[in-house]
Amino acid sequence: MLPSFEEKSVWVQLVSLIVGVGAYFAVSGMMLSNGVVALVPYIPVFMVSVGLLVVVMVVGHIIAAVTGKPEPRDERDRLIGWRAESNSSWLLATGVFGAITALAFGIEAVWVAHLLLASMFLSEMLKLLLQLMYYRRGV
Amino acid sequence: MPRDNELPTTDGGVRNHIRTLRFMKKEITQQDLADRIGVSRQTLNAIEGGKYSPSLEVAFKIARVFGKPLEEVFEYVGK
Repeated sequence: MLPSFEEKSVWVQLVSLIVGVGAYFAVSGMMLSNGVVALVPYIPVFMVSVGLLVVVMVVGHIIAAVTGKPEPRDERDRLIGWRAESNSSWLLATGVFGAITALAFGIEAVWVAHLLLASMFLSEMLKLLLQLMYYRRGV
Repeated sequence: MPRDNELPTTDGGVRNHIRTLRFMKKEITQQDLADRIGVSRQTLNAIEGGKYSPSLEVAFKIARVFGKPLEEVFEYVGK
């Protein structure tokens, strides 16, 4: 069974997230290891990464729309989205709790910011992977 | 025609006769039926294969397309 437009859209979001955020963490990881602790130098890197993410997402959705008829989300798509969100949000909550703990221990802001970004990224990635699993195995 | 114990059943114990009814109704395709009830073909395939239990609304729409009461399309057999 070929994937629905919604399932293709999830694949596109996953790939664009890995490309965009992966690029950001590759560059920011090098900056962190070189001792850049001010937050401002990371902002342009982040902006470029978000731009890259958007470009990959737009191109991916155009390809998905050209290769199959776009259909609106139906009740199964919504249920899969809700369930995946519900089962992945703990990761973001853990990151937020970790960030608060790090702040309490006086860890530098740059590390706290990246911990929050990483937990957002991982939580979103887990959500997309769970969605793909539910599409294939049933929900 | 498949025997009852060969019919796809969801984890929640709901069995359906959609495939049989589709063939009895001039072999209506999954895409045609999906379009008529407002879901994607993949969702209809998941319902038919016992991988997804539809909402009551969609279940009634499917039954209406076949002109059958709900319990002739879906039956609860338990886990």
